[in-house]
Amino acid sequence: MFRKFYMLYGFLVLGTAAFGQYRGWSLDTVNQLKNVPKSVRDNPGSYRSVYSGYHHYTGGK
Amino acid sequence: MGAGTPPLPGPPKPQAKALNCPKCGAAVVLRSFGQAETVVCASCHCILDAKDPNLAILQQFEAITRDIKPLIPLGTRGRLRGTDYEVIGFQRRSTKVDGITYYWHEYVLFNPYKGIRYLSEYNGHWNDISICKQLPMDQGGAANYLGESYKHFQTCDAGTDFVLGEFPWQVRVGERAAVTDYVHPPRILSSEKLDKEVTWSIGEYMYGREVWECFKLPGSPPEPMGVFANQPSPVTINVSGIWAAFAAFAVFLLVLMAGFDMRAKKEPVLQETYQYNRTDAKSEASFVTDVFELGGGTSTVEVKTSSPVDNHWIYLNYALINQDTGQAWDFGREVSYYHGYDSDGSWSEGKRTDTVVIPSVPQGHYYLRIEPEADPSLPAIPYSVSVTRDVPVFGIYGIAFAALLLPALVISWRAYTFERSRWSESDHPPMELSSISTSSGDDE
Repeated sequence: MFRKFYMLYGFLVLGTAAFGQYRGWSLDTVNQLKNVPKSVRDNPGSYRSVYSGYHHYTGGK
Repeated sequence: MGAGTPPLPGPPKPQAKALNCPKCGAAVVLRSFGQAETVVCASCHCILDAKDPNLAILQQFEAITRDIKPLIPLGTRGRLRGTDYEVIGFQRRSTKVDGITYYWHEYVLFNPYKGIRYLSEYNGHWNDISICKQLPMDQGGAANYLGESYKHFQTCDAGTDFVLGEFPWQVRVGERAAVTDYVHPPRILSSEKLDKEVTWSIGEYMYGREVWECFKLPGSPPEPMGVFANQPSPVTINVSGIWAAFAAFAVFLLVLMAGFDMRAKKEPVLQETYQYNRTDAKSEASFVTDVFELGGGTSTVEVKTSSPVDNHWIYLNYALINQDTGQAWDFGREVSYYHGYDSDGSWSEGKRTDTVVIPSVPQGHYYLRIEPEADPSLPAIPYSVSVTRDVPVFGIYGIAFAALLLPALVISWRAYTFERSRWSESDHPPMELSSISTSSGDDE
């Protein structure tokens, strides 16, 4: 019973991996936006990134 | 058979024979039609000779605990494995191991045509037991019965503490026998040596609810405690079979990875180097790249940033913007690299390159808006940005591998812990066992 379930599950995992690869899935997090004005191209400063002002790590041990 | 034909004479209907105890005069019921060797008076605990018409007294014992009551009352009838049986006898037995006394109960079942079989109960674990039809072969540490190999479980000295009802042998309280158990879940093979006589029996594990259903007993059976010697593993699968399936899936995954890697275009669409100047940053730091085309359908887009930072950082606010639709992917990436030397020796952290993969980007004309920030102590630093479309994401395979591995690990662990519990009660503690964890649970 469990072996059948595992076989089914395994094919599902492989299928999902293949589908994800085909559809271009990624593990990185990016913020998706819509309707960014065309004026950004001429005036890049008019766009405000959601990541601006990010507190940067200053590094070092 | 015609309607007027008289019915054929069938076997006689079973009837109990009532006698009186020669000691106390209490009624003694014989249910086994002469198959019993001994019968016990429930009133005065005399063991009587059932073969003697006068019920000669063979032994009288003092019931140590008068509260001992069979879970299945004597005289109860039930259907076990398709055959009707009546409970005719009950005994409590015990063994002492490492100073601890363990008790179990045995029930004698009788059918006039099928004869005798037994039920045993220990801590809520039941076994349906019958006498072996062939002599098992003792293989030193194992036994073979009807072509099936049984592992030695334990050898102990078992005593009879309490008896009630009828027995097809000369039962005596205080009698001790050397019992050796071999297991092949869900079966148990036992040899019982009394004087020079050895009796082999074969048992099959039963759940309490099955016994209760067979005998239509009221209430619910006692909950089983611990793991019994021949209790079938709840992980009713072949663990090695799961690992074989896992190995096959892992190979499939490798093939999938190689296939998608070969299929991926990995097409560079932008490669630029810029310079970040702190003085310029006081004005507007953001800028946009030239427009580049992402063709060939929806795919991943990899943005790689490199900078020769040295104990510094540079941070870039990115936006990949579709010029035609206004759709954008906003993300920030840091490139930092630190190194040094302290009392632990040399150390380093971070990298001079950073890679991000943007998922499912449709084809179209795009540009990047880049807004750099950098360590305030840095006057100027170069950095390069490269954009590549349709790159494979190997992390997906990593997750798939982990997803395939996890159930196999969980099953193996459950099987291992179950077997560990089983064998911890045996003469072979778990530390000595290596192969058992994978061999049990093979009986699907």
